[in-house]
Amino acid sequence: MAEKFDKHVLKNGMVLLGEPMEGVASVAFGFMLPAGAALLPVGCCGAGSVIADWVFRGAGDKDSRQLGDALDGLGLARSRSVGSSHITIGAALEAGNLAQALDLYADIILKPSLEEEQFELARQLAIDGVLSLDDDPRQKVMLKLREQFYPDPLGRSPVGQIAELKALTAKKAKQIIKDNFNLSQTIFAVAGKYDFDAVCQQIEKLFEANQQEAAEPVTLGSKAGKYTHIDNDSAQVHIGLMTETVKPTDEDYYNARVAVSVLSGGMSARLFTKVREERGLCYAIGARYHALKEAAGIMCYAGTTPDKAQETLDVIIQQFNKLGDGISEEEIQRAKVGLKSSLILSSESSSSRAGAIASDYYMLGRVRSLDEIKDKIEATSVDSVLGFLRSNRFEDFTVVTIGPKQVTVK
Amino acid sequence: MEFKKEQLANGLDVIGEVNKSAKSAAVGFFVKTGSRDETEQINGVSHFLEHMLFKGTEKLSALEVNEAFDRTGAQFNAGTSEENTVFYAAVLPEYLLEVTGLWIELMRPALRGDDFSIEKNVIKEEIAMYKDMPSFDVMDRCRRLHFDGHPCGNSILGSEASIDNLTAEQMRDYFTRRYAPNNIVLACAGNFDWDQICSIAANSCSKWRQQAVERKLEHCGGSKKKKRVEKSNLAREHICLMSAGVSAQDPRRFAASLLGIIVGDNVGSRFFWELVDKALAEAATMQFGAMDGTGTFHSYISCSTDNVTRVLDTVSGIFQNLSKNGITEDELRKAKNKVLSALVIKNELPMGRLGDLGSNWIYLEQYRTVEDDINAVKAVTVDDVNVLIEQFNPGDFTQLSIGPAQNS
Repeated sequence: MAEKFDKHVLKNGMVLLGEPMEGVASVAFGFMLPAGAALLPVGCCGAGSVIADWVFRGAGDKDSRQLGDALDGLGLARSRSVGSSHITIGAALEAGNLAQALDLYADIILKPSLEEEQFELARQLAIDGVLSLDDDPRQKVMLKLREQFYPDPLGRSPVGQIAELKALTAKKAKQIIKDNFNLSQTIFAVAGKYDFDAVCQQIEKLFEANQQEAAEPVTLGSKAGKYTHIDNDSAQVHIGLMTETVKPTDEDYYNARVAVSVLSGGMSARLFTKVREERGLCYAIGARYHALKEAAGIMCYAGTTPDKAQETLDVIIQQFNKLGDGISEEEIQRAKVGLKSSLILSSESSSSRAGAIASDYYMLGRVRSLDEIKDKIEATSVDSVLGFLRSNRFEDFTVVTIGPKQVTVK
Repeated sequence: MEFKKEQLANGLDVIGEVNKSAKSAAVGFFVKTGSRDETEQINGVSHFLEHMLFKGTEKLSALEVNEAFDRTGAQFNAGTSEENTVFYAAVLPEYLLEVTGLWIELMRPALRGDDFSIEKNVIKEEIAMYKDMPSFDVMDRCRRLHFDGHPCGNSILGSEASIDNLTAEQMRDYFTRRYAPNNIVLACAGNFDWDQICSIAANSCSKWRQQAVERKLEHCGGSKKKKRVEKSNLAREHICLMSAGVSAQDPRRFAASLLGIIVGDNVGSRFFWELVDKALAEAATMQFGAMDGTGTFHSYISCSTDNVTRVLDTVSGIFQNLSKNGITEDELRKAKNKVLSALVIKNELPMGRLGDLGSNWIYLEQYRTVEDDINAVKAVTVDDVNVLIEQFNPGDFTQLSIGPAQNS
């Protein structure tokens, strides 16, 4: 069963991608707009969250309420996310309503009303979002970790900074929308049940505009500290840890993915076994691969009561460091089966396919087929993974903790 | 789609919905037991037992269990609620039989004392983890306040003290009483071979011994008490409101879930437009939760402590307006569209389908197609919802808040 991908590029450079799926009645789509946290002007941290809310507060000939009602009337499940590189807005819905939904999204992207009064509400909610993080130490620790690990501005918090949000004006936010909703750098992806010719014609009509110049690539600054602790009278110490690894474009990418899977793919993987099963140190423990276009890392989280925090961190770092010493054939096999299986299981969901093809295109400039990914995973071996680990030793660990007790990072 | 069912002589129900065009298959054991089936002395045992099933059998160690799952590439887990404990896995079709065989073995666990002691630490870590999640904590505390002595108010995790005092012997006794074949449903969905599943179930589960199993079913109107708890490290006010709703067996459950969407969906609902859109609260949702013989409407709101009075006044205004004027045709139409499209999207995945398949059997002993549910949603009228509002008055609720210490 060979997969088929659709691709069309508008004259202004906007890329349209599609993956038809058989046997589904749903469709999912997303617009990746180059307005992520790392691409915004200095001093505007959090503007992305404000903007992603503000544009939904009225567009085209509809006020906020009318627009919300129109979206709800189509029964669509909205998705909206602000990342390091993009603001992505999209939806999953029954296929029959796709054309009407695209009309509404074109208004949201091209003709948002951007009323001052609505700006204040969107900004207040963004500030509340930052304040709420104090009550969600697990999310807060991971945001802080990205900020500390990635060279500035890649790790900037998409949620925002209070002071910068307070200083943000409607005028400034409007300017960001004008500069960053750059159609020439926008990727549109659709997956599920759709007619690509019809989608292309509609999008072409709605989005064809003059070519816009691409923004300057970001200049990377330095990394922040090695260890950061935030004091909080919480029940657990929340530990975030990250170390550098290869990017998706690297020839060792699949070796890195298999290595992370040996470390933390399933319940028989090393971290779960050594930290939770054998020692009972944690309930939540896991590591995953995390990539931006410019840099990538292995990101780990563990939550544990204060007296066990040091031991937990020590065992985790020990497991990272021991990985290159040896991996059994069985472990590699389980890691490979796990990766391939989750790939195929997620391919049944139109939302996850739309997200995957858009992200592939942004990261690699093309869409990989499931077969290509399966073959590349299959081609890894004990030797290739160990070879990779030995020439890419884990040296620096960036660590962030939130809780009543600090740890020592050796 | 083809529905199949069989019952073993010991009462184990085996059901399946075969969809040969799916790329995956899902399997689940639905055990009709949870925290409402516990006494105070053994509170938390259902959830702890769920963890202990992964610790192996007479033949398999915990590590061997995890390795066996991972060899199949299964996405697997388990969950415990107030009334069900569900063990499930999604796999590629060629692995379904193997994973089903593994679950069958695990349903007769060794419950070793050593494993029990180590896992106690993990359970206590999980209790600590949820203490740091006020959105969960407030719901748990509000449920207890609302049910006020009714077993549906029992905490799923138990407390540190109840877990400390629990013995392996008490757990073994609970297991024998509750994990009886006549209290369990084995369900499969997606691309699989029904005959193979039936034969492995018949060969391996027939020796499981039937028990007399019962559960007290009593509707609960709720205490309607109000309470606030202070926690010094919190930044926001977390509010849970709970009132009585219809049960999982009640045909009015479709109207009740539409009412939940109309009042408290995360976008486009009355809560959304009055509270979130106006930036009075960063989160405000209401859901209908159907249970065995009873049900709830529960809301969660998070806001700044300065806004609490305005938020609660607004909520009370929303409920008063509902009682006085009811819902509109237009609201109902939008809510239906949301529910219907969510139903379609969820049921496209075998794992999504498994949930509905299993719970319809647990609560109704009935097979319902996706179309049956779609038609039931479509048939709900404005009057149906308005009658429900009149009968259950969701504005008369139990209220529990957690927030930072207030200066007095």
